[in-house]
Order: sequence, then C-alpha cells, then structure tokens
Amino acid sequence: MMMWILILCLFCVSIYAISVVEHWSIYRHWDFMYPFSAFASSFVQEDVKPRMHDRTFLQTAPILFIVAAVLSVSVLPFAKEFILVKLGTAALFINAAFAYIMVSMVLAGWAPNGLYSMVGGWRFLGQLIAYSMPIVMAITSTVMRAESMDMTEIVKSQYELWNIIYQPLGFILFYLASLALAFLPPFDIPNSLGELSGGVFSEYTGKKLLIFRIGRLILIFSLALATANLFLGGWFGPFLPGFVWIFLKTGAVAISYFFFGRLMPRLRHDHSLEWSWKYGTPLALINILWVGILLLL
Amino acid sequence: MQEYIILFLILFFTVAFIGCLYLAKKAMVKTKNEPGKNIPFESGHLHKKPVWGRYHIHYYGYALLFLAFDMEMAYMYPWAVVYKKLGIAALLDMGVFLLILFLGLLYTWSQGGLRRQ
Repeated sequence: MMMWILILCLFCVSIYAISVVEHWSIYRHWDFMYPFSAFASSFVQEDVKPRMHDRTFLQTAPILFIVAAVLSVSVLPFAKEFILVKLGTAALFINAAFAYIMVSMVLAGWAPNGLYSMVGGWRFLGQLIAYSMPIVMAITSTVMRAESMDMTEIVKSQYELWNIIYQPLGFILFYLASLALAFLPPFDIPNSLGELSGGVFSEYTGKKLLIFRIGRLILIFSLALATANLFLGGWFGPFLPGFVWIFLKTGAVAISYFFFGRLMPRLRHDHSLEWSWKYGTPLALINILWVGILLLL
Repeated sequence: MQEYIILFLILFFTVAFIGCLYLAKKAMVKTKNEPGKNIPFESGHLHKKPVWGRYHIHYYGYALLFLAFDMEMAYMYPWAVVYKKLGIAALLDMGVFLLILFLGLLYTWSQGGLRRQ
C-alpha cells in the first residue's frame, strides 16, 4: 500500500516535471509555478461554446482523450509487482488505447464547426495514417522477443540485453511515432499555435481545454513509460530499486521529447505521410525480419 | 475477469474526476452571453457555408494502403507470440505474406500513389 502511494506521488511529480519542461521548451525560462497557475487560469476561464456546435462530440471528445491516456498508463508496469492491470494482451491493449486518441482528436476537430479545428482534425487523421504502422510494428517486434503480449514478460525478456541495443531501429521508429502520436513539435501541425492558431484546440476554452491539457500530459507520460518498458529495460538497473529506475527512465525519455522536438523544423503532414510510407514502414518490416533472424540464431 | 473490473473502475474514477471538476467549475464561474462571443475563430472573416461540408482528403491513397497493412497487423500479433516456438516455418509463412503486401506498397510507389494527390 505504501508503495502504491509512493508510485502515485512519483507519477504526480513526473506530470509536474513534464509540464515545467514543456513550458521551458517554449518560453526558454524556468517557471516552477507554471503548472499551478495554468491550472487555475484554465479553471476559472469562461467556457464558451461555439454556435452551431455538435453537442455530443463537443462533450465527449475531451473525456475520451483523457480516458484513453489513463487506460494506456494502467496496463504498463511501474515495477516488478506493481502494475495496475496485469493483462495478458497488454501490448495490444495500449495500441487500442492509443487509437482512441485519434478518435477523440478527430471528434474534437469536427465538433465546434470551426474551420481551423476541422483542418486540424483532418491533419491529425493524416498523421495517424503515417505513424500508426511504425508504432504497431515496433511493438510487435518486442512481442516477438518476449513470446508474450504481457508487459511484464516483455520487460523480463530484456534482463540481459535491453531492446534498444537488440533492435535499435525499432526504438527509433517507436520514438518518432510517439512524437507524432502526442503531436509534439516536429509533428505538431494539427495543433500548432503559429500555423493553425491552436488547430484542434482552437475552439476549446475553460474546463474542456483543461481536460485536454491534463490528458496530453498523461499521454506524454504514458508514451515515455511505454518506451521505458518496451525498449529501455523497464525496472532493470543497478543499485536503485526498480520503481526509481522506471521513473528515471520515463522522465529522461519525456524530457528528451521536448529537446529533440525543438531541433527540427515542423513537418508538413504530406511529407510525414510520404516519408513514413516510403521509409518508415519498410524499415519497420526490416526490423521485424532482423529480430526474427536474431531469434532463430 | 478481475483485471477488467479494475480497468472499469479506473475508467469510472477518471470520469468521476472529470465530473467533480465540471461541478466545481459550474459552481464558480458563469458564462456571460454576449453577441459575437461564440463565433468560431477564423482570422476576422466568417465562412459563408457551414464548415461541415465536403472536404477533400488528399491522403485517400495512403488510407487504402493503411487499411491493407492494418488488417495484416491483426495476424501479426498472434504470430509474434508463437514465433519462437515455430521457428523458421513461421518466418517463411509470414515472410511470404508480408512480401505480397510489400510488393503492393512498391507498386503503389511506382504508380505515384505515395505523393500528395
């Protein structure tokens, strides 16, 4: 029980740290009160609904977004015995949960009947078609090595050698695809402030925007946690206990997202589609072949 | 069975958390109705037609390709679990299947399908 409280505290601290680092990566100065002030200001903001909106979609999109992010966290292990839901098909489940992110984003783009949000929603759908094959195939190749879709088994299979060394190609593809999934900088065309004035979120204010922003932080955390579990050896590491290692790895991956993103120009969605299908998908197939041959040796 | 109950509980508590947030918010702030406030943001001039019209999705070619590969992924997961047990036979079986799909990808590429339509 104590462990669970500790893990919950570490989870909150990670979310806080991700928020602070994201603020730094945009404004280039440290503001440690930013998460609280942003929460307070979104919380008391007026909740303006655009006229002629689609009522059902407008209400369900933020809830679906945060629920999908939370469910994907819940099947990922925090340490050897500390996993909220020990599913036999966890690797498939996180995929399914990530697919709902796309659904909620397209709903959110459709609902307010605004031009920019609509374009953002369609762009996100295009981005899904680009990133979804690399992300799925990278997860499959880790499943091949573990001979199980259980996340604990996948982590255990990396006891001797982490997947990042065993299949570096898969790691790179998963990393880039997770940037696209969380619409982080090089792939932020559906939501970029400069280009689409907020894109999908441009019509959202107040509590709904707040839910979206919290959900996005959880999504970034969950993607970093998935990377740590699938490729960086999960809770394995010397000296420190398992759960400390996993939070260190998750934090490092999540922070690297923001630093990596700022180094690259924004990718147009037709470019990301083109490159993903010309190079990403074949490389992911080669990665599966590579793992297959290594396993047979 | 127990796992799915926990999953359902997590889902329930997330929605309950959002509900609490909405209730607290409702007690605190009210939206004032003012003319022109609820117009969607469109850089100063409004769209003549409703936006839910026809929108040309330029990536429909990719979408068809995506559908083929996505179906293949449904077979890939169970295959990946038993892969090591079956050995080289599994590699060849899936290899042939993937090769056919991959040839499809190459054909699409050669026909210019991997360009913005």
